[in-house]
Amino acid sequence: MPLYLCNTAKGAISDAAKPKIAADITRIHCDVTGAPAKFVHAFFVEEAAAPPIDGNTAVLFGSIRAGRTDAQKARIISEMRQSIHTHAGIELDEIAMLTTDVPAAWAFEGGDIMPEPGEEAAWLARHEAAPAAE
Amino acid sequence: MIACNCIVQAGQISAETEASLRTFVNDFAERHFGTPAEISWMAIPEKSGFTAARPSTSSIISMRANMPVSQADRETLLRELCSVWARETGRSLDEIVGVLSDPMPN
Repeated sequence: MPLYLCNTAKGAISDAAKPKIAADITRIHCDVTGAPAKFVHAFFVEEAAAPPIDGNTAVLFGSIRAGRTDAQKARIISEMRQSIHTHAGIELDEIAMLTTDVPAAWAFEGGDIMPEPGEEAAWLARHEAAPAAE
Repeated sequence: MIACNCIVQAGQISAETEASLRTFVNDFAERHFGTPAEISWMAIPEKSGFTAARPSTSSIISMRANMPVSQADRETLLRELCSVWARETGRSLDEIVGVLSDPMPN
């Protein structure tokens, strides 16, 4: 968490563009929120049932930990849409994006309940002292 | 029914393991919530999944409970869900994300 799931029309984003957009998504999320990169998942699918494309060429749906401000979310949306436009050549008005807040306490990653925003450093220190087994 | 979205990386989970995981998730839902799971299984195509901007090996299992869950119970349930998923797939817990949401508000 976060999970950014990008659903597109068939062939709208090339395999060459995906790692560039994923790198931007990761960088943007980390820059805006201060979260560590290891938390950031960026997945691409085509013509999937969800998130619904609803007439767009691409829709990016971000499930992020609750606690981000409206200004942070607006910046995430603006910069990630721009990245898709830049690397995939899709017109901005054909790229939809929305985010949903997920309470950190509802999510489990790396063998532990996820930290609240801003508490990542202590979580990572604890996690790295006792790596997740299994 | 308990809605459960399972996102995996294509080619990293065999058909046999997928069947085993589906059985486990269904059993998990019945044991803890008294009703089967309605599983939506999504395989992210090769070269299309990234974690920390690198090719991903992560699975994400997201389930919505049919009753409010205490935080202590949620942690216990997520630990079971993710541990079994890790064991069945041969992945580490670092590669498994579990989410257990409360019911949607009316």
